[in-house]
Amino acid sequence: MTRTSSSSVIDSGSGTAVFEPERRSRVGTRLRFIGGKLIGAAIVLFGAATVAFFAQVSLPGDRATVILNIRAGQAIQRTPEELQQINEQYGLLHPLLVQYLDYMRGLVVGNLGISYQQYKPVSAVIFEQIGPTIVLTLTAIALSWVILIVWVTLTAGRGPRVSALGSVVDTTTAGLPAYWLGIILLLVFSVGLGWFPVIGGTNPNGLFLPAVTLAIPLAGFMGQATRTEFERTLQQPFIITARMRGMGDWGIRLHHVLRHSSLAAVTLTGWALGATISGAVIVETVFTRAGIGKVLVSAVNAQDLPVVTGIVVLIAALYVVANLLVDVAYSLIDPRLAKS
Amino acid sequence: MSKKSRRNSTLIASGLIATFVLSACAGNSAAPQANATKVDGGTIVYGHQQEPACVFGGWIEQAYLSSNVLDGLVSLDSDHKVVPWLADSWSVSSDQLTWTLGLKSGVKFTDGTPLTAGVVAYNFDYWVGGGNSTAKVWLDGYYKSATAIDDQTVQITLSQPYPRLIDNLTQGYFGIQSQHALETRTKEENCEAPIGSGAFVVKTWNRGTDIILDRNKDYTSPPANAKHTGPAYVDSIDWKFIADPTTRSASLTSGETNVIYDVPAIDWKKLGDAGFQLEKYVTPGRPQQLTFNTQQGPFVDEQVRQAFAYSLDRKTLVDTIGQGVIPFEGNGGVSKATPGYSQKAADTYTFDLDKANSLLDAAGWSAKNSDGYREKDGTVLEVVLPYGAGSIINADGASILQGVQEQAKSAGFKVKLIPVPQSELFSGAYSAPDQKDISVGYWTAVTSGILWINYRPSTADNPNYSNDAFVSDQTLADLITKANGISDVDAQNAVYEQAQEYIADHALSIGLYDRLSSLAVSPSLKDVWQENAQGGPIFYDAYFVK
Repeated sequence: MTRTSSSSVIDSGSGTAVFEPERRSRVGTRLRFIGGKLIGAAIVLFGAATVAFFAQVSLPGDRATVILNIRAGQAIQRTPEELQQINEQYGLLHPLLVQYLDYMRGLVVGNLGISYQQYKPVSAVIFEQIGPTIVLTLTAIALSWVILIVWVTLTAGRGPRVSALGSVVDTTTAGLPAYWLGIILLLVFSVGLGWFPVIGGTNPNGLFLPAVTLAIPLAGFMGQATRTEFERTLQQPFIITARMRGMGDWGIRLHHVLRHSSLAAVTLTGWALGATISGAVIVETVFTRAGIGKVLVSAVNAQDLPVVTGIVVLIAALYVVANLLVDVAYSLIDPRLAKS
Repeated sequence: MSKKSRRNSTLIASGLIATFVLSACAGNSAAPQANATKVDGGTIVYGHQQEPACVFGGWIEQAYLSSNVLDGLVSLDSDHKVVPWLADSWSVSSDQLTWTLGLKSGVKFTDGTPLTAGVVAYNFDYWVGGGNSTAKVWLDGYYKSATAIDDQTVQITLSQPYPRLIDNLTQGYFGIQSQHALETRTKEENCEAPIGSGAFVVKTWNRGTDIILDRNKDYTSPPANAKHTGPAYVDSIDWKFIADPTTRSASLTSGETNVIYDVPAIDWKKLGDAGFQLEKYVTPGRPQQLTFNTQQGPFVDEQVRQAFAYSLDRKTLVDTIGQGVIPFEGNGGVSKATPGYSQKAADTYTFDLDKANSLLDAAGWSAKNSDGYREKDGTVLEVVLPYGAGSIINADGASILQGVQEQAKSAGFKVKLIPVPQSELFSGAYSAPDQKDISVGYWTAVTSGILWINYRPSTADNPNYSNDAFVSDQTLADLITKANGISDVDAQNAVYEQAQEYIADHALSIGLYDRLSSLAVSPSLKDVWQENAQGGPIFYDAYFVK
């Protein structure tokens, strides 16, 4: 309270001239900071698109043959006459550099190309199915935070036995493969008990098991990072002070300690966004959910290059955005960071 | 924070309750009452295993789907006889080069345009021009042109006799589309929702989830072998894509689907005992077989090919892994469901290890190394067997191939099994004679004419990349061409049988198992049947009972 009143004094006329240059420079650093971030983001996207493009074109086999064979459902050699139309349509006989520049030019104006197999714009292919994946990913991350907070608050710093049990569970769950966990959850809760639908679909109750499948390993992984810091913070002098002020144990844990020790997990959340999207590939198949993961698998299988590169660029973009958000969240949780 | 988690748990709890309520409503997997009566309308929820890129195309998955949306010219009945569909009459000239088809009158496409001979002729040119690559394979080398004689009569001109042309037209690849739609709509629109005159129309395609097909209320053109006329009984079909076989059968038992495709062998008996209607259709055409490379490597020697055949106990292997559901197939040329099937060819090789060993000794592979593999001049008898894992060969098939590898080892063959991912397979990897010794795979067809596709000699100006025995055998080619040109079905089949026996005697290909199309149907849904050309599910006659 007192602090805010003092800052309002600064703004009250007399001192403004003194603070002007400092404010300008602060705006300048902020712009520089944002500009730097944006340039970095552009470089990341450019790199992702480039790598995806060249990884795809360097796959063995002739691309026109793949396109035609996938359409026909026959895995055979093809004559030049059969391939001519496809080669012309997609410019597959142009020098690689020309194809690459064409692709990049399209990216800059937001044109991701046309799917070889679905004959529709790649952007439409992606945006049709990105929704369910984003819902799944965000739900999984939120769930993992819930699991993490409950579990760590319950078990950290509760004496050697409980703490040890807590870390054992963290380590075990962090290593659980999504495919195995998903199948087990499906067999037990959907097939066995009938609590959830077998086919996930898009309704809320079909979302729970897939989200839990992604959330459990994630919570374990972030829990490992949080637990150490949590236990260290519990020993800090300001915690003892808070206890002396008569604050309850739960209050201290949730209010003071968690805020301190969650920074590592916040950082990991940016990474987790990418991890859950890649995990979604498996989960979407097990739970029969629509989503970008399944699109990616079938596009890779069909060597549908425009779709694959489009999804790679999109995931890179999500990564960049997530990490920007993490930077912002950081400064909210720890105000010292914003000033540095 | 604590507040948030509480809110979450209430959400989860309400979700749980909702699920209970849902599953209580969805308990339609129980058998209906004996006095159950027919109800009109309803939505059939169908679980299929694979999502195609377009509704219409060259994959069997697409033929299954498009058959519900596009009418064909002709249909195949359960006795394998061609019966009317959009065409109600057909005849062929005495020189076998001109076919004349008379069309049903008054048929309209769902965009309102009429079905005319001109439209049918346009469709023929469209298929051959790349509109359907599989239809093109069946017409290539025979088809010259199609013209409209008048509004209801179309004439197809051939470059050489093709007595079974009309049988081949029963396949789903030959679905007739509106010329107006093909000419005026974008490729994308015709991919997602082609316009036909069929019993159902594509309403929406939720990519990755399902396709909703709505009843065509003005439907007037069912095939002659359908069980009723007029529009379909049900309102719609929810054609879901459920890739995982375990999930598919679980969705059926939990009542989330009414019909599933490709029933896992392990669940077959269980579902039958629980009262589900089981349908099994052996696809005619080329079975799942082993074809030997006769151009390069150890299998150039006929004795080595025969030795490989004798070293396998194929029947026991298939029966064990297929739980009695997957049929064993001895014939390498065509499957037992194909007209003109030769039992003699199928019975050519039985399990006989002594014979296999003596043949290999005679062929000069008499030495054995410390691993038990045979050698000749220091070279190990190694054969490469690539297979399309998950695309051409499913999980049961992969197990059968592992059994082949194991059994052949006892005679001293070192089989190198290579699972090939789909993208690599379709890029043409392992398609050349220097890349493999054994090919596997199937090819659906309605006649033994498939032999021509698989054994026609490849020439420089007319290459045949579907000939994976890489065989150029004039005796065999003459037999098949001769059969192709005989118009009397029995006489034709007799020659096809000779061709199969020739293939077996020279061990060009040996059979493994038949490709199946299987369905499991909920007891509350009646009259779902499989069409007779490729075993696709037909929902036109289906209705619910309560």
